[in-house]
Amino acid sequence: MKVVLTLVVAVMLLPVYAMIAVSSASDANDLGGLTFDVSQLGAHVAQLFGQGGFPLYLRNSLVLALGVAVLEVILSGAAGYALAQLRFPGSRALFAVIVGTLSLSPIVVLVPMYLVVKALGWIDTFQGMIVPFMMSAFGVFLVRQFALALPRELLLSARVDGAGELRIFARIGVPLLRPALLTLFLLQFLAQWDSLLWPLIVANDPGLWPLPVGLSQLQTEYDFSIGLVSTAALITAVPPLALMFLLQRYYVAGLTLGGLRK
Amino acid sequence: MTLSLEIAPRVARVSGKGQRWAEARTGGLLALPAALYFLVFWLVPFVSAVYLSFTSYDLAGTPEWTGLANYRRMLADPGFWNSAKVTAVYTVASVVPSIVLGLALAVPLSKPGRYNAFLRALIMIPAAMPLVASSMTWSVIFADKGLANTLIGLAGAEPKPWLTDEGLALWALVIMTTWKHLGLFVIILTAGLQGLPPAVFEAAALDGAGPVRIFSRITLPLLRRTLLFVLVIAVVGAMQSFVPAFLLTKGGPAGATEVLPLYLWATGFTFERMGYASAIAMVLLVAMLALSLAQFRVLRGGDDA
Repeated sequence: MKVVLTLVVAVMLLPVYAMIAVSSASDANDLGGLTFDVSQLGAHVAQLFGQGGFPLYLRNSLVLALGVAVLEVILSGAAGYALAQLRFPGSRALFAVIVGTLSLSPIVVLVPMYLVVKALGWIDTFQGMIVPFMMSAFGVFLVRQFALALPRELLLSARVDGAGELRIFARIGVPLLRPALLTLFLLQFLAQWDSLLWPLIVANDPGLWPLPVGLSQLQTEYDFSIGLVSTAALITAVPPLALMFLLQRYYVAGLTLGGLRK
Repeated sequence: MTLSLEIAPRVARVSGKGQRWAEARTGGLLALPAALYFLVFWLVPFVSAVYLSFTSYDLAGTPEWTGLANYRRMLADPGFWNSAKVTAVYTVASVVPSIVLGLALAVPLSKPGRYNAFLRALIMIPAAMPLVASSMTWSVIFADKGLANTLIGLAGAEPKPWLTDEGLALWALVIMTTWKHLGLFVIILTAGLQGLPPAVFEAAALDGAGPVRIFSRITLPLLRRTLLFVLVIAVVGAMQSFVPAFLLTKGGPAGATEVLPLYLWATGFTFERMGYASAIAMVLLVAMLALSLAQFRVLRGGDDA
């Protein structure tokens, strides 16, 4: 059993290895070979960072992914906590809208979302890429689920001690919600790092392209060797993989949440 | 002072108008950005999408009400039917093997042990790689002299034009998608398996049930909730999939990989037929909802598990 499992995993990792091998190939024809040449890989990396496009796409991706992930944590965190722990007018309506939105996919509202962003004058801006995805129904829902389980005695005793509601949220709510907020940060960062369709629609200016859009263009440019494109793909894969290994506990928690919770 | 903790919060809530006002004010403050956001970026767009689907709109001027014209046109549109078929084949062909294989791997991998934990971490790598990087990697693998042809060459077969052959391109996407999702499903199913009560399995083993019987009579029924979750995200994910088809084949050759999201995007943003694109979006939404509901029905099997 152990041998079979190891073999299956090895086959699954073969494409990853192929990407690394091709990134280090000097000859564009040498695609099937699995030899590895560090100096050639280094040359590709240097060439990529020496060019105008790639460092720019990398920066744009960081702005987009960090912007969305940070806003998501703050805004979905606040809303999720409020929906779980505080009574306020309109909370039922808001929750109903958010639950309804859970089953909507961005692809369904793609056209009118574009029209909204266009009406706001946000075509070809970072806010046009970030704001429409700065929160998610999933995020609010996830934080709310966690916040429902916060120990009520603790919040109550803070109230009895005379702490204001905002202070209770910041000092007790936020620290206890940290696993949920970290999960959310990670999932949103990964999702935005991969975002292609929306930037393709709202960012016509190549100066704003994140990596997915930039790379899809690199691929079709004739002067780009396949080795160079593979190197670009490899570099793109590094931040998510590093984050996943650093925060694996949260990553798995986030992925398995829906399957285990009621 | 002697209030039990159970009723204390309720007492505190009704204890004064000041408390309720403070709660409402803070709650409103914390939830206001969410209320605005969901209104502007989801509720209004959703209502607009329904409305636009009954109009003709090309971004210039204002939408013109055309009733059911978009939906009638869809019925007679070979491009739409081709996309619907491609999406259906792509969904079934990638979801079934990734769940079956995922379960086959999850059962042994869910057993405790350092080596299993190590393999579980490795198997996640494809899922954690950005979809864009994976797509580009596979476009190289499926190239004329790429890894796929090298491997089938070793087996004595002729090289194949994977991404440019009408009969093969969709299967290349299916292979890539299965590879991409397998690790994710393994991890979710593993977590589900590890959450099952061990006592049930011990009792079954004591009663002399074999591994096959234990799997079919105990593991599968108990794992229903997790399986349902995996199935729903797999199906809905496949139906919305845009990136692999866009990056590997651009929908070609001859529409062989033109999945519905790609057709929708081209209709709306290349040809600027916003009304028709919205009608396609509505059909996609209804199909996704209907399939999710059907899966709930089937896997719940009538009870409220």
